[in-house]
Amino acid sequence: MTWYKNKGNEGDIVLSTRVRLARNLEDYPFPIRLSTQEKMNISLLVRDSLEDYDSKKLSFIDMSTLSPAKAVSLAEKHLISPEFAYEGAGRALLLSEDEDVSIMLCEEDHIRIQVILPGLNPEEAFNEADKIDSIIENKLNYAFNERIGYLTQCPTNLGTGMRASVMLHLPALSKKGAMRRLSTTVAKLGLTLRGSYGEGSEISGDIYQLSNQVTLGISEKAALQNLTSIALQIVSQEKQARAAVIKDEDFVDKIYRSWGILRSAYKLTSNELTNLISYVRMGASEGIIDIPTEKLTEMFIENQPATINVAEGKTLSQSERDILRAEKVRKELN
Amino acid sequence: MLCQNCKKNEATTHIKRVLNGEATESHLCSNCAQSLGVGNFFDDFSLNMPDIFSGFFGDSVFALENGRLDRCEKCGCQFDDIIKTGCVGCADCYEKFYSKLLPSIQRIHGKANHAGKVPKHTKEKVKPKEKTTEEKIADLQKDMQKAIDEQNFEQAAIIRDEIKKMKGEN
Repeated sequence: MTWYKNKGNEGDIVLSTRVRLARNLEDYPFPIRLSTQEKMNISLLVRDSLEDYDSKKLSFIDMSTLSPAKAVSLAEKHLISPEFAYEGAGRALLLSEDEDVSIMLCEEDHIRIQVILPGLNPEEAFNEADKIDSIIENKLNYAFNERIGYLTQCPTNLGTGMRASVMLHLPALSKKGAMRRLSTTVAKLGLTLRGSYGEGSEISGDIYQLSNQVTLGISEKAALQNLTSIALQIVSQEKQARAAVIKDEDFVDKIYRSWGILRSAYKLTSNELTNLISYVRMGASEGIIDIPTEKLTEMFIENQPATINVAEGKTLSQSERDILRAEKVRKELN
Repeated sequence: MLCQNCKKNEATTHIKRVLNGEATESHLCSNCAQSLGVGNFFDDFSLNMPDIFSGFFGDSVFALENGRLDRCEKCGCQFDDIIKTGCVGCADCYEKFYSKLLPSIQRIHGKANHAGKVPKHTKEKVKPKEKTTEEKIADLQKDMQKAIDEQNFEQAAIIRDEIKKMKGEN
């Protein structure tokens, strides 16, 4: 179930749930101390260890063979880290066809297992990642210490090596100016709330990422429960805020205007599209605009710069891209 | 070099990006880098974590200790390298530099012990070895004697039969 094409639990507000496990092999230095050739050898070892994984078909992608646009497009879809997209030598990716499972090999750690699913679904995402992890550990020995858990290149990931996150669309809470307070509150509970595309003051498209911060001294299950319960509280606050905000005529006007621009603009930058979609998406979830929210999510993901270039099979100038983006959106919505 | 954005402050952040096949480089001061949201393009993977972590080590008293030239025998990493990069060299480094790393680990995670999954091969290492039949019989004989001493003959008879059965299997 490709996350940006489907709607999951609490899908009006929760775009996706992602679980990532960081693992390293006992017998090899961490990636920072490996040559390109050694990295590739480890990547192949891990690939072979997953022969028995049959839930999904994984393709092995040597990152050095990908065009920069293709690599960045994977990052735009949140399937790999941007850092992984920029530097390909010795690195490889195992990717499932539906893009639910992506395993980065020789990124910051030897192995980073990621499962990303639509909506709020931490249990299923974790179970799949855990299943993959158990298959690998049958064949390869992990670096592990009983006291500090799975050993990782960066000590911030020690312990479970698990980072779980949910992507949240919070236009109403943002408009109410509640985000700063909210992020302080969740920090006290061992979680972080950040923009999904940068920590600047301007959060693009009112999309935020809520993730667990602490990985040592807490079990995977407890961390997931914690994340779920806080995510649900934020969801319920956003719902209340939406109910209030749609009584504001000016806000409703903004929603209709955004809808109008999307359906008639000749040129749209990526940033403008994201902000317009945010309004329309909220309008759709409140029954003001008649369009499925998941269609808007897909439009937002597939119209990012590198992803457009990949779809077109060539590198377009920004201006060409903006025209094409507007054209695609008009076609989709009219 | 001055920040390319505000052209006022010293540039401290160097960003190299490949977007749409074109590599661009920019030098920014920390304020502009933050307000432009760069360096955190997709912040969820914590691109800057090593920097932050090396900051954690930077002020550590251990950085000044004489022992800094110690090398990890497996990967050749020195504690200095860990301070500079914020990255640990290999699994053995965690043992070699454990006491030096611990304060920083505790600053990040608190004084906690691992509470999650344990890999299979570690579990097997930790698990006590399976007892041999002889050892099991010896244990049972002790139990039987104890039962006899306590005049619990019924229990002793049960254990005797169990011993007989085990010897028969051998």
